[in-house]
Amino acid sequence: MTNEAHTVSAGSRTDPPDTAPLHRLEVAELSKAFGSTRALREVHLRIAPGELHGLVGQNGCGKSTLVKILTGVYAPDPGASIAVDGRQLALPVRPMQQREAGVSVVHQNSGLVDDLTVWENVRLGHYRAGRLSRRINRREEQRATERVLARLDRPLDVGRQVGQLSAEDRAVVAIARAVQDHRPGGGLIVFDESTRALGRSARARFFELVRSLVDEGTSVLLISHQLEEVVEATDRVTVLRDGAVVEAGLRTSEVDEVSLTRMMLGRHLVTHGRVGSQVRDKVVASVRGLAVGPVTGLDLDIRRGEILGLTGLIGSGFVETAEALAGARPADVGTLSVHGRDLALDRKRGCTEEFVDAGVAFVPERRLEAGVAGELSVADNLTLPRVRSRGGRLRTGSAWQSEETAAMIAKLDIRPPHPQAPVHTLSGGNQQKVLLGKWLAGAPNLLVLHEPTQAVDVGARHDIIDAIREAARDGCGIVLASIDPVDLAVLCDRVLVFRDGRVAKELSGELEQDAIVHAVFGDDTKPQEEGQSD
Amino acid sequence: MDVTSQQDTDTPPAAPKAARTGKPTSTSALAVHFASRYSVIAIWVAMIAVYAAAEPGVFLTKGTFQTIFGSQQALVFLTMALLCTVCVGEFVDLSVPAVFGFSATILPVLVVEHGWGVWPAAFVAVLGAIVVGVVNGLLVVVVGVNTIVVTLGMGTLVGGIALWLSHLNTVSGLPTGFGKIALYSVGGLPVSFYYGVVLVAGFAYLLACTPLGRHIRFVGANREVSRLSGIRVNRIRFGSFVASGALCGVGAVISVAALGGYNPTTSDTLLLPVFASVFLGTAIVLPGRFNPIGTFIGIYFLATGILGLQLLGLEAWVSSVFYGGVLVAAVTISTLLRRRGP
Repeated sequence: MTNEAHTVSAGSRTDPPDTAPLHRLEVAELSKAFGSTRALREVHLRIAPGELHGLVGQNGCGKSTLVKILTGVYAPDPGASIAVDGRQLALPVRPMQQREAGVSVVHQNSGLVDDLTVWENVRLGHYRAGRLSRRINRREEQRATERVLARLDRPLDVGRQVGQLSAEDRAVVAIARAVQDHRPGGGLIVFDESTRALGRSARARFFELVRSLVDEGTSVLLISHQLEEVVEATDRVTVLRDGAVVEAGLRTSEVDEVSLTRMMLGRHLVTHGRVGSQVRDKVVASVRGLAVGPVTGLDLDIRRGEILGLTGLIGSGFVETAEALAGARPADVGTLSVHGRDLALDRKRGCTEEFVDAGVAFVPERRLEAGVAGELSVADNLTLPRVRSRGGRLRTGSAWQSEETAAMIAKLDIRPPHPQAPVHTLSGGNQQKVLLGKWLAGAPNLLVLHEPTQAVDVGARHDIIDAIREAARDGCGIVLASIDPVDLAVLCDRVLVFRDGRVAKELSGELEQDAIVHAVFGDDTKPQEEGQSD
Repeated sequence: MDVTSQQDTDTPPAAPKAARTGKPTSTSALAVHFASRYSVIAIWVAMIAVYAAAEPGVFLTKGTFQTIFGSQQALVFLTMALLCTVCVGEFVDLSVPAVFGFSATILPVLVVEHGWGVWPAAFVAVLGAIVVGVVNGLLVVVVGVNTIVVTLGMGTLVGGIALWLSHLNTVSGLPTGFGKIALYSVGGLPVSFYYGVVLVAGFAYLLACTPLGRHIRFVGANREVSRLSGIRVNRIRFGSFVASGALCGVGAVISVAALGGYNPTTSDTLLLPVFASVFLGTAIVLPGRFNPIGTFIGIYFLATGILGLQLLGLEAWVSSVFYGGVLVAAVTISTLLRRRGP
C-alpha cells in the first residue's frame, strides 16, 4: 500500500501543487447547482495511487452527482478542477479524455447488456473495426477479452451470454471492462453501488479481486450504502453530507459504522423536537395481503392521527409499498380499506380516481415529474383534485378556488403568495408546499408521503413538518416513506424498517435517529444498542 | 425526544425566496410581458399598414376584408381539431386534413352519385370522421403506437379512400339551398365565419373555465401528475381524438356546403396552414401555450399576409413560402418563450 505521505485532514487544502503526482485523482472546488438546489458545494476529494477509497453519505447527499460529473454527464459549476495523475482534465469531462486518463466507472447494475456475450460486453465501445471492411474482428476482440480476464485471474467463457452468468461473474465482466485500458498498476475504477447485487460470499470474492488490483497500484473509489463493507474493505473514507465534504480521507481503521453514520447525518438538520403522539384508537386505513415488488403478504393498520414511517434500503420494498397504497403503482395482490371503502390494489388501469374519491392522497418523491405541473399556476395545481367534485360540470367555480388557494398559501406560507404564478418559478421548498397543499386542502383520510422534505430549505421544512402534524391532529392517517432518519424520528409514531421485502424491524415510542439508521444499514448479525426496538 | 442541536439557531425562512414573483415588476419586464403576448397582433397591424400604403386602392377595401374573413372557415375547424389533441400533449396529428377531406368527399358523393338527401349524407360524413378519430384514439391511447406513425398512416389511408370514392375528380352539384347553412350573409360575412367564432369561444371557455378543461390542461402539461391526481388520463386522450375527428367532419360539411362540392386532391394543401396557425397561436395571448384564441388570430394573420402578397402581384407559390416561413418562425419563438419562462 502506498497511501502514506498525505494524511489529508479536512483543513489542509492549501498544499503546494508540487504534490500533484501523488494523487491518482484530485478533485477541488467542485460545485454543482441545479436551479436553486446546490447538489455539491466545494467538494474536495483526493485519492492516492493504489488506494481503496470509500465515499459514503445519505441518499441525495451528492454522491451520484459527483460520479456524473466525473463521467461528463453533468458539467460542474465554474471554478472546479479535476486532475488525474497530476494532469488537469478539461471540464466538462469528455468520455474519450476520461478513458485516456484511465478513469472508468462501474455503475449500479454493472452497466451490462444481458443479451450480449461476455466479449461483446467487455469490448463495447472499444471495438476495433477492420481497416477496409469496417468489420469487427471477432477473433481478435475475443482474445483481447481473454487477456483482460487472464490478468484478473478469473477466466470465463467469453462467448457466453452475460444474462446467464452468476452475479459474481457479472461483476468480473464489469471489472474487466473497466480495467482493460489501464496499464497494470494505473488507473482509477469508480464502483457506484455496484456490490448491491452480490451475495455475501460473492462479495468477499469481489473484494479479493478489487484488493489484488489495488495492490498492483490501481486506485478504487467505492461508493456504497453498505457501511459494513466500507469499513472492512477501504483504506480511507470520505463522507458527504448535503453536498459538502464533512470528513475528507479519514483512515478507515479509525472509524466504525456508528461513527460513520453519525458523520453522515450530522446534527444541524434538526428543526424541531417531537411532539406528543396524536394517535387515536380508530383505524382509518387497513391493508391486507399486499404483494408488490419484493413485498409479499403485508398487512398494515393505520389509525387516525397516526404517522407511520416506512423505511429501508432502496429495493427493500418500502417505496413500492407506499406507492401501492396510494394507487400510484399496481400491486400484484392486496386490498386497502379506507374509511369504510374497499379498494383493490391490484389494478390493471392506472387511474387513481377512486383512491382520490376515497380520500387517499399521495405526495410523490419527484415533485416536478409526478407531483405538480410546473408550467401551470399555483392556484390551478392546488385545486386540481377537487375541480371535479366541487365544480359544476360547466363551471369550475372561482369562489371556492380562490378561497382554498388563499387558505393554503397562508397555512403553508407559500412564497411568493401569488396564486397565478407558474409553479416552476417557485423555489423547491415552495413547490413542495404547493404539492402538499394540493392534498391537504381536501382533508384526506389517508395521506401517503414519499420524501416530503427532500431538497427543501430549512424554513420550508419547518412549515411542511408543521402541516403534516396538523393533518394528523385533524385525524388523517399518514404514511411517511423516507430514508431520512431525521424526518422519521421527528414525525413518526411508529417506523417499519423493510429489508428484502419484509418488515425486518418495527420501532416505536421515543424514536432515535441512530436506532433507525442502524436498523436500516446495519446487519442482522450485529444487533447493537437498539434500545427502542420492540 | 428533543434532539440536541449544535448549529441550529432556528433561522426563520429567509431572504432568497422573495426573489422571484409571478408578476412582472420593472418597466422592461412589463414590456417583455406585453410584447410576448401581443407582438404578433402588432405585426399584423403593421402588415396591414404596409399593404395599404403599397396598394392603397386595392387592399383597403370591403372586398379584401370579406375575402380574408369569409374564406378561412375550414382552417378554423381544422386548427381546433388539431388543438384537441395538441392540448392533451399528443404533439402531431397529421391526419387532420385527410380526415377533413374524407368527410368532404363522402357528402357530395352520397348526394350526387347515390341520390341521398343532404342531411343523412352530412350525418354519415361526420360519422365517418368520428370513426377515424376512434381508430386513431384506439391505436395511440389503448395500444400505445406512436402518434406520428398512426396519424400519418391513417391520414394517407382515408385520403386514398376519398380519392377512390371521387374517382380522382371534383364531385360537385350539391343543392344550392344547402349552401345557405354556410353562406347566408350576416353583417357582410358568411354565417360560417360566426360558427368559427362560436367554436373558438366555446373551446376557449371549455379550457379556461370548466373542470374538463382543467383536466385537459393538466394532461397536456404532465400525464403522471394528472394520473396521480385522479384524472382519467387515457379517457381524456381518447376523447380528444374522437373530438378531433368530429370537428374535422363538421368543418368538412360546412366547407362543402359553401363550395357546392369537393376535390379530394386539395386536402393535402391544408396541412401546412393548419400547423402554421396552431403554432403561431402559441405566440399570441398565452405565450408558449397552445390556445384557441391565439390560433384564431393566427389564421387571419396568415390570411392577411398571403392575400396582401398576392395583391402585390406575387403568385401562388408565395403561400407556401409564407406558411412555411411562419411555421418555422412561430415554432422557434414558441420554443424560446418556453425556455425563457415567464
